[in-house]
Amino acid sequence: MLQTKLIAENGLRATSTGFDVEVRLPWYRGLPLSTVEIGDVVLNGEAINPASVSIEVNGKTRLPGDLATLYDERWYVLDSAMLHVSHSELKRGEQYDVAVSVNLRPPYIPGLTWAVKDAKRLTANS
Amino acid sequence: MKSSRGLRLGTTLFSFTNEFHARQYSTEQLILKVAELGLGPGLEIVGFQSFRDYPEISDKFAEDLKELLSSCKLEPSCLAINADINIGKDRTLTVDELVVYHEAQIRAAAKLGFPVARCQFAAGPEVIRRLVPLAERLNVKLGLEIHAPEAVDSPLVLSYREMYVKVNSPYLGFIPDFGASAKALPPSFLAHFRKEGVPEKIVCVAEEVWATAEGNFGARLSEYHRRARQTGAAEADIHKLNMLFAMLSKQKPSAWIEIMPQVVHVHGKFYEFDKDGNEAAISYAELLPVFRDGGYKGFISSEWEGTAFTDDNGFEAVQAHHALCRRILARA
Repeated sequence: MLQTKLIAENGLRATSTGFDVEVRLPWYRGLPLSTVEIGDVVLNGEAINPASVSIEVNGKTRLPGDLATLYDERWYVLDSAMLHVSHSELKRGEQYDVAVSVNLRPPYIPGLTWAVKDAKRLTANS
Repeated sequence: MKSSRGLRLGTTLFSFTNEFHARQYSTEQLILKVAELGLGPGLEIVGFQSFRDYPEISDKFAEDLKELLSSCKLEPSCLAINADINIGKDRTLTVDELVVYHEAQIRAAAKLGFPVARCQFAAGPEVIRRLVPLAERLNVKLGLEIHAPEAVDSPLVLSYREMYVKVNSPYLGFIPDFGASAKALPPSFLAHFRKEGVPEKIVCVAEEVWATAEGNFGARLSEYHRRARQTGAAEADIHKLNMLFAMLSKQKPSAWIEIMPQVVHVHGKFYEFDKDGNEAAISYAELLPVFRDGGYKGFISSEWEGTAFTDDNGFEAVQAHHALCRRILARA
């Protein structure tokens, strides 16, 4: 059941500019980035301003809104993506409630928007 | 197995989505495991799942894969290709673009030695028609998957059948998916929604309407919505169960006979087994003889879709499925 695998186990990292969340594609096959929409990121109940989030996938970091036109670039199913979030510093070793949502539009199933929300309690790693 | 006649077993690596996604097995390791557990000889692969650079396939990659399959005594049965028409929120591929999108995948199928490419409804009959010359040249059959909620005689499938008559190519065929011939909804699927907090009253309504409402997908779904709303349940909860009507439908097993000469591959969709080892929602005891006695000669891929709502082990599921199929086919 891939819906519960969106946030990677042990996927929270404290950074000097905030935090990173490692996410997996919650679908069985790779999808064009243009069919992936990053939704909400929530930390301990605090909804993160979307402008503070960027996504790193295929070695490139972009704003979530930039994915919409990446028709020819795929997110392969085995690869993680990293959500980089600008935020006040986290305490390393402390636990946080992390929630992320994404909407997938599998391009061969016209009309389907697959909304996935995942929430995990994770320790902030270095 | 003499009594199976030309019907041969196999599996699709899709069945091991849980293990693959969790990075417990690479594509190569899955293939070795399929061979070790005797889950062949047919091997089906979803291109965009199992191959990172797909549809680009290098000569070396193709050679290595073919060698691996042959050393494992597995036979490539079908490459599942995708009709990614809605490539973006505001962008739909044109017919020309979709033809090109398919051509690359059909070339990949040929290069890897797959005799059949699984095509999807989203392609549309015109795109499939235009692919016939390439399919003939590369010796790859185009198998349109007849998936729930469609049936052999639904308008969408008829539009392909009419085109098939006009083109009259042996490279045009169908891939029945047994999810279109279910007798009930899988109990574990319903249990999943209950666990997710969907109210029991609408789970019951969905189950009843699925089993009793007649008509096409739209009619059955509308009837479910009408009855579910009467319970006062929240719209969001009601819509969570829509997928039950899209993933499974109840065409009677014998209906497949109508297209049997055009069947080029089969998806043996399954979810779970009852205490006697029978599929709980799909009657293999009825379906397999329809295909065997109908003269189908080819592979049936064990396609476990329990991945949609459980973290259960795909290998155990496919082993149980093969045991069931063997038992049924061994009967006279």
